[in-house]
Amino acid sequence: MALPLLLLIGLPLLATGLTAVCRSVARNQVVTLVTGAGHLAAALYLLVTRHDPAPAGVWFAIDPLGTFFLAILSHTFLAVVLYSPGFLKRVSGAELDVSKRLYYPALNGYLLTNTLVIFTQHFGMLWVVLELTTFCLVPLLYFYRSKESLEAVWKYLFLVSLGLVFLLIGILALGLAAKGLPGRPPLVIADLVGSAAQLNPLWVKISFLMALIGLSAKIGLAPMHPADIDATSNAPAPVAALMAGSLRSTSVLVLLRFCQIVFQTGERAFAQRLMVFAGMLSLAVAAVYMWRSRNYKRLLAYSSVEHLGIAVLGIGVGGLAMLGALLHLLFNSLGKMALFFMAGRIHAAFDSREIDQIENLTRRLRWTGFVFGAAFFFVVATPPFGFFFSELFILQGMIHSKQWGVLAMFLGLMMIIFIGLSRAALQMLQKGSTEIATSSTPPPERFHLAHAVSLYAMAISVPIAVFQPQPLFESMRAILAMLGVTV
Amino acid sequence: MINALTILFCLTLMYLAVTTRLSSYVLILVFQGVLVAGVYTLSFFENFSWQHLVIAGAVLLFRTILIPGYITKIIRDLDMRHRDQTQRYHPGFLLQMAAVIIGSFFLAQRLSSLTPVLVIPLGAAVAGIFGGGLLIVRRRLLLAHVVGFLIIENGLFLLGLGLEAEMPWVIELAAFLDLFVLIFLMGIAMNQLKTHFPEGEELTTLRD
Repeated sequence: MALPLLLLIGLPLLATGLTAVCRSVARNQVVTLVTGAGHLAAALYLLVTRHDPAPAGVWFAIDPLGTFFLAILSHTFLAVVLYSPGFLKRVSGAELDVSKRLYYPALNGYLLTNTLVIFTQHFGMLWVVLELTTFCLVPLLYFYRSKESLEAVWKYLFLVSLGLVFLLIGILALGLAAKGLPGRPPLVIADLVGSAAQLNPLWVKISFLMALIGLSAKIGLAPMHPADIDATSNAPAPVAALMAGSLRSTSVLVLLRFCQIVFQTGERAFAQRLMVFAGMLSLAVAAVYMWRSRNYKRLLAYSSVEHLGIAVLGIGVGGLAMLGALLHLLFNSLGKMALFFMAGRIHAAFDSREIDQIENLTRRLRWTGFVFGAAFFFVVATPPFGFFFSELFILQGMIHSKQWGVLAMFLGLMMIIFIGLSRAALQMLQKGSTEIATSSTPPPERFHLAHAVSLYAMAISVPIAVFQPQPLFESMRAILAMLGVTV
Repeated sequence: MINALTILFCLTLMYLAVTTRLSSYVLILVFQGVLVAGVYTLSFFENFSWQHLVIAGAVLLFRTILIPGYITKIIRDLDMRHRDQTQRYHPGFLLQMAAVIIGSFFLAQRLSSLTPVLVIPLGAAVAGIFGGGLLIVRRRLLLAHVVGFLIIENGLFLLGLGLEAEMPWVIELAAFLDLFVLIFLMGIAMNQLKTHFPEGEELTTLRD
């Protein structure tokens, strides 16, 4: 246990320090790559071996919930590190020198703080490290140093901080819920779970409501989503992939920490109803804006609102849908990685984020066009990709629990989203292909590491969904057991 | 005495709704800082400990000297003195703030019938949280948003006292870290904004 912990906390800490001191981008790349690989190895080891809940009274520990989200974080991080050298080579300009120097220290700091969020079992400390994740993200979001990126950073910082104030109220209310209990438990999660039946129901309700509102800004749920959309759509491609793939998932983990307690009290139904509402509202917002948006990076950001909405909806529906929600978070990290990596390459080639400016993608950038097309089929849940199976689990959960109204609304909104996204993606892939076919053909695009990473990310979802590897599903079953769900 | 200080806190919110000068905003922050530190000290007067004294001292230092001083520096550095009118005075804002305060006390009263709370400090705290939010919505200038956020933080601090939450030190630490990060980062961002948005500091570039 000591070695994995050393790798998970010690490596990113060391790497943050080293990359902050070292000015050579090439050396920082190597340090970060070694860190990412070591972190992933340790995360996978823990995923296979750790199936016990965290012990009582402990502030830092790893439990099944932690190992699952740790695997998502490590995997996304390593993919981003592999993509980064190509990205940093592509962007040039004296004004970006500072951004390039800050890139790897901030990236390693991001890994460190997110790992701490996953390890922390005390709500007060959890809030502190969650705040630090925002702090580490700022230099990455402000990478381009443009007017737009500054506006995005400001809005993100402001709205997320406002959200964290609500989260702090939620934590305060949770402390009050335990007030007056004999041997009053502090804000340690396992202790609160142990005394969940005796918690004051009114404060439990207020706590969950505030936590959900507060975390919405970081997860990217409606109506707190605008800052997240601005930040994701104006961030460099690897940072957007990191945000969509791992940061939002880590924030869902914090929500699940609240669920761990609330689901053991009499307020379980209240919490689930709230999550169903939040998920459905996010789907509705995504459905509207995916029709309106003419900026493909914003479109992808709204796709994240949609998929995180589906995950939260799945948790709210409960039962089998909760298993689907966990799988959905995993596949979301894979799909968004592929989409944002390709969006970065499209942006580099066309120097525009406007859908109308992108023509003839499949011919001009044959590999990028192909992978982007595949990623589009991935995110609209086409079989055999992972999203198809996770959404199937969520639908099954709705049917088993006889939530027919939710089912009908879910299917209706998914249909609207599918058409909206298809319109934009097909236009980007196909528009202008006949005209260009007759004119001079540009030199064919070479196969790049980014294509390989994106194809791998999408392909890996198929065996995960079809063969259901035992260590992963054991871990997910352990999570469901912690939340009081049996499937 | 605690009740008197928290009522004064509500009066600062009313003043917030009628003033449009940036210097008045800073003054309100200083005054609220003194009130919050005073309420904190009084609430632990009979149960004195060094830990409480340190926190009260830190509250006073941060909220009455360091943060208002830093905001004043931003106003001076960005040469905002010549246009310290954030927006025209509007009586609607005053009415809305009054409604927020009345509604907050009504909510605190209702809550007191369900669980033991201190009605007046709790009402003031909720009013501070919503009043700060209202300032953010009503004013467009970015500095006014920062002030709104700080007022929300003051409300949050009072909330812990009003609910007699007796939170562990880590919560106090969290509140300070939040203030530090926010003010530090927003200060840097505002300096950058000066170069990108020289006219109005209104962020409206990113839209669907």
